[in-house]
Amino acid sequence: MGFWEEFIPLVLHGAVNTLWVLVISIPASVALAIALGSARVYGNAPIKAIATAFVVTFRGFPLVVTLFLLFFGLADLGIYLTPYQTATLAFVLCGGSYMSEYVRGAIRSIDIGQSLAARALGMTKFQELIYIILPQAIRRALPGLSNEIIYQIKYSSLAFVVGYEEIFAVSKTFISRYFMPLQVFMVDAALYLAMTTAAAYGLRALEYKLRIPGLEMSIR
Amino acid sequence: MGRGSEMVGDEIVLRVENIHKRYKDQEVLKGVTFEVRRGETKVIAGPSGAGKSTLLRCINLLTKPDKGRVWLEGVELTDPETNINKMRQKIGFVFQEFNLFHHLTALENVMIGLTKVKKLPKDVARKKAEEALLTVHITEDLWHKYPAQLSGGQKQRVAIARALAMDPVIILYDEPTSALDPQLVGEVLRVMEELARKGVTGLVVTHEIGFALEVADEILFMYGGRILERGPPREVVFSPKHEVTRKFFENITKLYGGK
Ligand SMILES: Nc1ncnc2c1ncn2[C@@H]1O[C@H](COP(=O)(O)OP(=O)(O)OP(=O)(O)O)[C@@H](O)[C@H]1O
Ligand SMILES: [Mg+2]
Repeated sequence: MGFWEEFIPLVLHGAVNTLWVLVISIPASVALAIALGSARVYGNAPIKAIATAFVVTFRGFPLVVTLFLLFFGLADLGIYLTPYQTATLAFVLCGGSYMSEYVRGAIRSIDIGQSLAARALGMTKFQELIYIILPQAIRRALPGLSNEIIYQIKYSSLAFVVGYEEIFAVSKTFISRYFMPLQVFMVDAALYLAMTTAAAYGLRALEYKLRIPGLEMSIR
Repeated sequence: MGRGSEMVGDEIVLRVENIHKRYKDQEVLKGVTFEVRRGETKVIAGPSGAGKSTLLRCINLLTKPDKGRVWLEGVELTDPETNINKMRQKIGFVFQEFNLFHHLTALENVMIGLTKVKKLPKDVARKKAEEALLTVHITEDLWHKYPAQLSGGQKQRVAIARALAMDPVIILYDEPTSALDPQLVGEVLRVMEELARKGVTGLVVTHEIGFALEVADEILFMYGGRILERGPPREVVFSPKHEVTRKFFENITKLYGGK
């Protein structure tokens, strides 16, 4: 078998593995970000403190360190995560913490009048957050979140450090057999570019779909 | 006396007693006491900084008064045991800056309190919301527009419908026409007047002397955190007891061209 016949199926298998992490980790990161961002604005003092500590911690750790901590560190405590579980969890913790700052900023940018009007109708703080503030804040946070989502697609290549067989991991192994780094990494680059481009288009379409008529400047 | 007065019964629906509020070293409300009867329209007037907005917000506890008590239909709102969210449903609030929910259409703005707070079924809520919108003369062609697609006058009428649809005991209006272009003020005042005539109880902070003279049963003139003077509109506007009151209405009349 030649180089291409062998490499293409292998790298596609890696790509499927990469996607398999991302389809879980991206939505979960966004959900965590919304929860953390909301908690840091709307939570009572202890909840705020916990959420802030969480964000500061996982934003402060390099992703590689988080991956090692979850994989080898937890194993020391008798908790064994598979490479897949490790990668997914690490991306959620790290991505969610980063993204939460966009959500927090967006919530804080909503005019106080929206909150007053909600409370005046008799909404609880939680109802106000869910029905009035978040639908507007998430729209505002979306461009920033998109940025982080694209980062996450690219940084998913770091999962190789815990032995997860994603695009980059299979490529590295392959190069040790056929020394053709240019071809191999060009294929990798093309695959990542395809994923990030697809995500960028999808997210822009979502932004367009969620626009509020009359309120926002045109994005098209 | 305002023409709404034939609707006014003896039943006191809102009682405000000795409200005090301080921001840092500035005492904004220095003991305000009054009551509103069912069906009545009361106007609060007074110079900027007199504490009018603060007073309205102390009534539905959007701002917590430092001292004093508020009752709505005999229930003490200032009692920490009272479920304030439940009571706020009965107090309509109309803001100077409209504060419509930007991400919802006109109809959805009116419906959301009914579905999420009052937990009415969607079809019932929709029917009620449509009725409220028609009452404030927002016709069907505007129901699916977003706030940013409406004129100021339309926005404020939707905001009034949002308050009205909740079947409130009273509607509090905080300078509802101050943010509007002069030619849009009339349509909002007309709706407020119609509601007053139908017997909807209202407490209105406004500088619209014409509205006060035509519609109000009483004017409360606030000055420096107190009600300095109160009485029938004509008396307070044309023959007030205090010099500051006279000066204030003289200036307002010049500015707003009151009748
Ligand atoms: N949240 C706040 N923090 C500090 N000071 C405040 C706050 N809200 C109001 N004040 C002060 O309280 C005083 C009364 O304000 P308020 O808004 O009640 O007056 P107003 O009679 O409604 O005036 P206007 O006609 O300008 O609306 C003002 O001096 C204002 O600066
Ligand atoms: Mg005011």
